[in-house]
Amino acid sequence: MANFLAQFQSIKNTFDHIIVAVEDVSDLWPLVKKEFEERLPFKRAFLNNKTRNPVLVDELPVEYILTTDARIRSRFPQEQSLFWFREPYATLVLVTCEDLDEYKTILKPRLKLIVQNDEREWFIIFMSKAPLHNDQATKNAKKVYAKLEVEFSSKKRERCCKLDIHGPEANFWEDLESKVVECIRNTLDRRIQFYEDEIRKLSEQRFMPIWNFCNFFILKESLAFMFEIAHLHEDSLREYDELELCYLETANIAGRHRDFGGMDHGDDQASLLDPVKKPLTQIVQDDSFREFEFRQYLFACQAKLLFKLKRPFEVASRGYSFIISFSKALVMHESTLPFCMREVWVITACLAVVDATSAHYTEGLVASDIEQEFYRVQGDLYSLCRTKFMRLAYLIGYGSAIERTPANSASLSMLPWPKPVAWPSLPPDASPEVLLKEKLILQETPRVKHFGIQRKPLPLEPSVLLREANRRRASLSAGNVFELFDGRPNSVDGLAPLSPLPKAQAMAMSRTNSSPGNFDASIDRPMRIAEIYVAAEHALRKTISNEDLWKSLSSMIEFEEKYLELTKGAAENYHQSWWKRHGVVLDGEMAAIYLKRGNFDLAAKLYEKVRALYAGEGWENLLAEVLPNLAECQKILNDQAGYLSSCVRLLSLDKGLFLTKERQAFQSEVVRLAHSEMAHPVPLDVSSLITFSGNPGPPLQLCDGDPGTLSVTVWSGFPDDITLESLHLTLTATNSADEGIKALKSSDATILKPGRNTITLSLPPQKPGSYVLGALTGQIGQLRFRSHSFSKGEPVDTDDFMSYEKPTRPILKVFNPRPLVDLDAAVSSALLINEIQWVGIVVKPINYTLKGAILHVDTGPGLSIEQSHGIEIEKYSNGSPDSTKLGQPEGSRNHDSVGSIEANQLDLRDSKIKLPDWASNVTSVLWIPMRASSESLARGTQAGSGVSQRLSLVEGLRTIALRLEFGISHNQIFERTLAVHFTEPFHVSTRVADKCSDGTLLLQVIVHSQVKASLTIYDAWLDLQDGFSHTGKGDGRPVSAFFPLTISPKSRAAILFSIFLENTLVEEASSTDSIVNIRYGISGSRSNGAHAPTANEPKPNGAAKLLDFRSALVLQRPVLDPFLAVGFLPLPSNGLRVGQLVTMKWRIERLKDLVQNADSDINDEVLYEVNASSENWMIAGRKRGHVSLLGQQGSRIVISVLCLPLAAGYVRPPQLGLPDVDEANISCNPPGPHLVCVLPPPLSSSYCVPAA
Amino acid sequence: MQSQSRLPANPSRTGAKGFGSLIKWREKMIVCVAVVGHQNNPLYVQSFTDADDALKLHHIVHCSLDVVDERVNNPKKSGPTLNETFLGMLYPTENYKVYGYLTNTKVKFVLVTTDLDVRDADVRNFFRRFHAAYVDAVSNPFHVPGKKITSKTFAERVSNIVKSFGLSSAG
Repeated sequence: MANFLAQFQSIKNTFDHIIVAVEDVSDLWPLVKKEFEERLPFKRAFLNNKTRNPVLVDELPVEYILTTDARIRSRFPQEQSLFWFREPYATLVLVTCEDLDEYKTILKPRLKLIVQNDEREWFIIFMSKAPLHNDQATKNAKKVYAKLEVEFSSKKRERCCKLDIHGPEANFWEDLESKVVECIRNTLDRRIQFYEDEIRKLSEQRFMPIWNFCNFFILKESLAFMFEIAHLHEDSLREYDELELCYLETANIAGRHRDFGGMDHGDDQASLLDPVKKPLTQIVQDDSFREFEFRQYLFACQAKLLFKLKRPFEVASRGYSFIISFSKALVMHESTLPFCMREVWVITACLAVVDATSAHYTEGLVASDIEQEFYRVQGDLYSLCRTKFMRLAYLIGYGSAIERTPANSASLSMLPWPKPVAWPSLPPDASPEVLLKEKLILQETPRVKHFGIQRKPLPLEPSVLLREANRRRASLSAGNVFELFDGRPNSVDGLAPLSPLPKAQAMAMSRTNSSPGNFDASIDRPMRIAEIYVAAEHALRKTISNEDLWKSLSSMIEFEEKYLELTKGAAENYHQSWWKRHGVVLDGEMAAIYLKRGNFDLAAKLYEKVRALYAGEGWENLLAEVLPNLAECQKILNDQAGYLSSCVRLLSLDKGLFLTKERQAFQSEVVRLAHSEMAHPVPLDVSSLITFSGNPGPPLQLCDGDPGTLSVTVWSGFPDDITLESLHLTLTATNSADEGIKALKSSDATILKPGRNTITLSLPPQKPGSYVLGALTGQIGQLRFRSHSFSKGEPVDTDDFMSYEKPTRPILKVFNPRPLVDLDAAVSSALLINEIQWVGIVVKPINYTLKGAILHVDTGPGLSIEQSHGIEIEKYSNGSPDSTKLGQPEGSRNHDSVGSIEANQLDLRDSKIKLPDWASNVTSVLWIPMRASSESLARGTQAGSGVSQRLSLVEGLRTIALRLEFGISHNQIFERTLAVHFTEPFHVSTRVADKCSDGTLLLQVIVHSQVKASLTIYDAWLDLQDGFSHTGKGDGRPVSAFFPLTISPKSRAAILFSIFLENTLVEEASSTDSIVNIRYGISGSRSNGAHAPTANEPKPNGAAKLLDFRSALVLQRPVLDPFLAVGFLPLPSNGLRVGQLVTMKWRIERLKDLVQNADSDINDEVLYEVNASSENWMIAGRKRGHVSLLGQQGSRIVISVLCLPLAAGYVRPPQLGLPDVDEANISCNPPGPHLVCVLPPPLSSSYCVPAA
Repeated sequence: MQSQSRLPANPSRTGAKGFGSLIKWREKMIVCVAVVGHQNNPLYVQSFTDADDALKLHHIVHCSLDVVDERVNNPKKSGPTLNETFLGMLYPTENYKVYGYLTNTKVKFVLVTTDLDVRDADVRNFFRRFHAAYVDAVSNPFHVPGKKITSKTFAERVSNIVKSFGLSSAG
């Protein structure tokens, strides 16, 4: 069956669609062929796939072939079953007949003959040639067709349809299509069934010796091919997948040695997308195929179908895994394959897949995740290709052009060397090339990194190539390699001249010792590295058939070009995928090339991307590789800002990553630039390098308006001291956003040591609130720098700078304005007026020091400071003043046993008092001697009336305006006006306690103590005003035995004076008051209230000074003092009548004896006078005259006056007056009537009218 | 950088089974383990190779984060393994394999091995033990979360775990 392979291939190559046979019974085909073919391919065909599910095929190409065609006729039956897929899928029988008889006799038997073969799907197309106008012919045709339908169509299936040539038959073509498709579907089902059965039969023998893969393959691929021509690509693909699985399963059965293949010229170029590159017949081996070609063939078929299915992304991803797995297979057979066959194959395969898939791929057709995955695979393919390409380049000596970056090292250093059976040896005539290579090697100078950074280069080789190559030359011992190292140290791989890899040497030694047999086998001289390169180049020349690839390896420049192209391809694709990091890293690889080529602009841009990537995630080790390169670019481009920030970044990296010398180089660059003439001075962010924090512990607490000093810890990441020309620190208020930033300045240059520094900044008064550190700014040379990063009290650990977080711990708290101090009067009770009194002012600091505070004292009117006395200050004992001191004489107070109480004498200058330091934090009392002066004399009041007492309270008020300047720079001011109450010691009220019958008055003088001190009255006397005089001895003093009289605070005492009224008349002008004089002593404490006035010089034996108190008393003579009583005697009861005389009588009675008036002339006579209205009354008798009245009390006299009423009515009666006697001394008892009724005169003709 | 001796600590492995066993053991080698923080910042990168090439392993670990990101951000792809901490093989290359593990605090563990036929179960087991070591290390009250792990005990423990990696199946 394997013989059919060639035939199968040729069929496959020439045949690519379903055919439909046309049995042209009535020679009609030429007439309709055009119309039939015009309607191809079928637009919507439902076919069944392998699992009998309908699948919609959008376009089904079909070819009509006459059964008489040679292609169908000349087939052997065996072929037919094997290549059944190419047999017609349907048979159309074209007939026409106009006559029923003709149909019966000729057509019907013939049709029966045709359709008897049940294998075939057939149906009959009856063509009516009858013209439209010919009714008869049409009728006949209809009859024949009806007959035909009866004969050939069954209920199950219609097998006839009718085409009217001359008439439009719109439905016919649809009908035809559906019928043809139905036939094809049926045929396809049957054939699928057939192939499946066959395949099952074969695959059951899979593990038997008779197994022939070729047969299986032909069957399987036939089925796949049939699916393909039926446009059931999905099924076809599945068949190929199964085929591949089956191949992998059976091809590698142990014990069967098979040729792998890949030895032909051109095999190095992958044919994984080209199924027809090599005919299958060429790769047949026994009963199977050579793996190398066959697997590529299978993949190519799959890829073709996938492209047809518009799934290029799947080609890419399958391609990648295919390349990987195939590469593994190549490793297994590396010994037989040409040198580096595997690498070359992978390169070409990757490029082929990339090219084909990207050509077939149109963006945006698939979901974004598939798209990203596609680009990722593209990137992977490029990347794989790039790795292998680098490997080849290294082998032929371009290793120096490959940047020894971590990425390149990662992909190359773990990739084993090619393992040919024997390393290619030097061709005989290659010595000029070797010389050339050696020259190149010698010319190579390892690129020195910027800043003179010297690093051990990362390996690009899994082991030393020189050793590996010589070891692979069977005739060589590794021991000689070691000799070679010693002999020519410069050419150790030509790439690591700085360190000859001592470890590798040691390993080479140990290996030599472990295989001693090799020692004497060294006949051949070991190859030198240049020779290895040349040998590899020659071997590769033989391997590589692709001219483009070879060209890329032909020179260093070409290599770089290709390398760049591959890197770019990988990077761009990765950028469009999820794998951004891969892309950016490859950007860095490109940057290295650009840097080398002098395209610094581009290099800097790409390096910047890499830097951002590494810095963003804190991969410092990798960053340390990239940053010097970036800095170099920036320096060349004169990008000072960038260069500076790169230097700063380098400095901020972990200290272990660079040597101190290198870090110093970074710093010197920064300093050099900072002090150079920069065209555009740039701000520099040194957040990662200079960090700062507040001191640990609670924040500095300041009161509103206070300046302070802030101590800040600054960490410098510079390796050496660095001079900062200026330094500013901003504070940010946490409570309000707009209340921004306050900058603190440290004006003079600061030198930061490496590591921790403490910097003190003066802090001007701030607004209340809490502040956190904002940013640190300053200048290095002309360079303004800024740092906004905080360290947490430990060396800057730059790995967390991305988790940068503003500390919430405030460094400064400025409190809201609050009372910092309180000034108050020490005593609330009244002090003595007009005496020198200690006015106590309590100075109470409220959690605030009063150091250096100055108190301004400004006394109000009526109050003056006694300059002669010093001012005292003492500690204020909390609460009420010591009760023990109460009652003690003032003098002993200062020599009190309470020694702990500090007391000081202070001076008053310009009404300012400087508080002593000890009083800064304690409450103290300031005692200032003051005198309140009052001109007015105290006035006593009538007992019981409290009005005037209130008045005296107001009078005694004095004010002291106080102003305390305190705080660090006297910035805090506290002002207060204190009211101090002064008073007389006593308030005096009087009352007449008793009025004796002899006219003596007992005057009670009540003294009410006004102060909180005990008063002792030593003497009291009364200076009486005119009109009063003392009884008795007349000195106005009470009995002296009462004195001294002590009056407790706020209590009262009374003194009785006995006085009497003088009867002498008092002149109105003299209105002097009586004065009560009290000589008293006071015993009180200044901390309580009134106290003894400060004496200018203390009296001997501490005797208290006696004080005088005077108070005016108002004594009034009694207002009413009747000594005569006048009574109106009753009138006659018959009433008064005009013209009728009546006697008016008054009785005068003496109420008091006229004793005191004894010496006066008029002693017993009383002047009287009667007043009456002359209109109403006529008085007969004396209106005015003296009557004698005895001086004794009780003597009385009646005065009678005869009166004649003149007018009737109610009239005022005549009045008796005593002109000599003050009205106050007259008592009317009983009082006279106001009006009397005068009756008219009796009727009479002789009416006497007085002459007018 | 700590350079891990390649010679096995267990003398029975070198002595009794000889050179072949040594080779086999070396093939089972873990070349690098890493802890990567939830912001993709390296917290601990330890290589176990002779050569002074830790940087390339940094690179491999860093690049493998691409795959972790992809899996985490593409729930479709990760599918049922979404809730699993073990991410499996991140990407196969021809020469080494990278395995990943994602803790629920989004800390990633990455393992780079040159052993191409490593068993999933071994790796899972490794990560489980590694996770325990990590948890112990960061539970240290003196450890600042998000900072590099500098604990010597942790390093020692990790190196023990690495040494014993695959022993159960090494034979």
